[in-house]
Amino acid sequence: METVLRNTRPGRKQMFLDPRSKLMLCLTVIIITLAGSGTGIMKYVRVVLSVVPIIFFLLLGKTWLSAYYAALYAFAMTVPDLIAPYLPPVVNLLFTGVIAVSTQMIPAMSMFCFLVITTSVSEFIAAMDRMHVPKVITVPVSSMFRFFPTIAEESSAIRDAMRQRKTGSIKKPMEMLEYRFVPLLMSLVSIGNDLSASALTRGLDAPGRRTNVCMLGFHWPDTLVFVFCGAVMVLFCVSLIFGI
Amino acid sequence: MIRIERVSFTYENAGSGGRIEDIDLCIKDGQVVLLCGESGSGKTTFTRLINGLIPAYYEGELTGNVYIDELCVNNEPLYKTAARVGSVFQNPKSQFYTLLADTEIVFACENLGLPREEILSRFDETVGAMHIEKLLGRNLFRMSGGEKQRIACASVDAVKPDVLVLDEPTSNLDMAGMADLRKIISGWKQAGKTVIISEHRLAWLKGLADRVIVFENGRIREDLPAVAFWAKGTEELHKAGLRAPFDLSGIRMETKDAETGRMVFRAFTHKYKKAEVESLSIDELSVPEGKVVAVLGDNGAGKSTFARCLCGLEKKCAGTVNYRGKNYKARDRIDLCYMVMQDVNHQLFTQSVLEETILGSETGKQEDPEAAAEEVLKQLDLLDYKELHPMSLSGGQRQRVAIASAVASGRDVIVYDEPTSGLDYRHMLEVAGCIRNLANTGRTQFIITHDAELVAECCDYYLFIGDGKVVRSGGWDDEAVKYVSGYFNNVTA
Repeated sequence: METVLRNTRPGRKQMFLDPRSKLMLCLTVIIITLAGSGTGIMKYVRVVLSVVPIIFFLLLGKTWLSAYYAALYAFAMTVPDLIAPYLPPVVNLLFTGVIAVSTQMIPAMSMFCFLVITTSVSEFIAAMDRMHVPKVITVPVSSMFRFFPTIAEESSAIRDAMRQRKTGSIKKPMEMLEYRFVPLLMSLVSIGNDLSASALTRGLDAPGRRTNVCMLGFHWPDTLVFVFCGAVMVLFCVSLIFGI
Repeated sequence: MIRIERVSFTYENAGSGGRIEDIDLCIKDGQVVLLCGESGSGKTTFTRLINGLIPAYYEGELTGNVYIDELCVNNEPLYKTAARVGSVFQNPKSQFYTLLADTEIVFACENLGLPREEILSRFDETVGAMHIEKLLGRNLFRMSGGEKQRIACASVDAVKPDVLVLDEPTSNLDMAGMADLRKIISGWKQAGKTVIISEHRLAWLKGLADRVIVFENGRIREDLPAVAFWAKGTEELHKAGLRAPFDLSGIRMETKDAETGRMVFRAFTHKYKKAEVESLSIDELSVPEGKVVAVLGDNGAGKSTFARCLCGLEKKCAGTVNYRGKNYKARDRIDLCYMVMQDVNHQLFTQSVLEETILGSETGKQEDPEAAAEEVLKQLDLLDYKELHPMSLSGGQRQRVAIASAVASGRDVIVYDEPTSGLDYRHMLEVAGCIRNLANTGRTQFIITHDAELVAECCDYYLFIGDGKVVRSGGWDDEAVKYVSGYFNNVTA
């Protein structure tokens, strides 16, 4: 029977990569963009890293998103520097700080989204198993994959309910937060409870080794990713040690 | 064989369900057992004893033992029971763990560590036996309740358990979904499996269940062969607080009295983004004002889209609605209509029933909002609960709180999305009573429902939607009763 379960190689939906490579790539981008100093050679490395998400957007066929991403990043990189001299210092202090942080967050957040979008729960569990990560970590993290769409679904229903009540306008932010989050948390807690009961009746707590039907394995795109990540990390260390 | 030996259980957290007391019985292999009774009578608790969630997941005080053949369920870890007992739950959206149909079906087998080849061959077998080829490769979040429930069944079937436990599996299903589920269960019955189903809606199990156990206050009130159970009349079932097989014969056929105004929909269409065809396209439709209109049809036919468009929640909906001589466009309708949602929890925001009624409502703008809100609560029989937290109430009461805020909002048209799914007979009657009372205040009400008894109880007019179009609509006459009965009774055929 035709099913994704019989796939032996990661396809376009998985960005042709093994989940472990994606995890590696994601971590590299996050570490460098958030911890890197952004001076010396790292300045260029960072720009290269911020191009990685564009490649993935294109791979997934999201041409428009890649354009948005590029424009947003270019804007955040250049505009504050250009206009900063003309603004009062108070604004600069608040404004530039926020922009600087968010600039660094953009590639890291995009990479995290890629990881979640292109990795199925089963692949993720399989990858974690392969790396001998214990179940106490794998189970909660993997259920997070499932909770993103749940949050979206629940929160859009709550938004509709609020619109009908004519409540929660931007003018009263505290009220809006309360009415938004109280029902959302309530329903997420109850879904979470049902979900764990259901997973337990299907043997999630079995102590033996889990079988993973989906096939993992490294192929040439994974090699590329590892070489790339290795190179970036080496450059990072070099710049830390020699201060270039 | 399942043996329940002198079992009593009380939940530590009283909100988790009803306690049970001194249950002692045997279920033979291959029996299909129907558990029924009012909400909180202990039937769900009974299912949890068999699948081991009590005492492993739900904490409380347990005495007695539960055996499946030689396995003592209450003393073994859950994963041992998991290989023997498969469970399907009430809410389709909270029982799948992965996001894709294929991986969900093999999820339990993977957990139990079966060999890969074995899992793949079981997968083929299950998919073939349940005819779910079309659902493969699909995202579970984009499936209807019925489709999700079929995947849930497939996922337990792949483990090949001897015993299957279903806890109110049809609460969110339409007629077609129920018919599919019936087929699946009859397949299990033929394969000699023991099936235990806790249910409010009973009619779909006629001819399938071998034995019926009626719970009352945590005890077994009656335990009888199905034939004897179905021999009971509708009245007897209702007296015991049970739903009865559907019967429209008692419905009020209104004599054509004074002509009421008509609510007229014109060129009422909507197309979702990226969809190829319109999910709603109604050229012209008119329904009487001030009446209760049942909106019927299968899942995916466009009922929910109809409701969302009517309430102005889909801003891109084209066309107008003429109500009491005034034309309303999509944007204006949010001030005209109010929707009571299926998952009522999404609509409850505050700490108390009274605050809930005041929030964002017309009553809230009056001089003495509390008095006005109390007036509304009195109308809905909720005054005694006004200080309580809405989440501490029962399902039927919560539904009424949501209706109270709809009434308080001062809108003239109220739309209900499945107001009685998962409610027992008594709670269904309460909700139906509310709706009838409101009809006397001149409001026009639309009820999207798969609940035949609710239709019989309180609707004056019906509207069938199929493929986004109105297939049929009208008041009750002999022909309409025949048509609607035919639709609801199709399941057991």
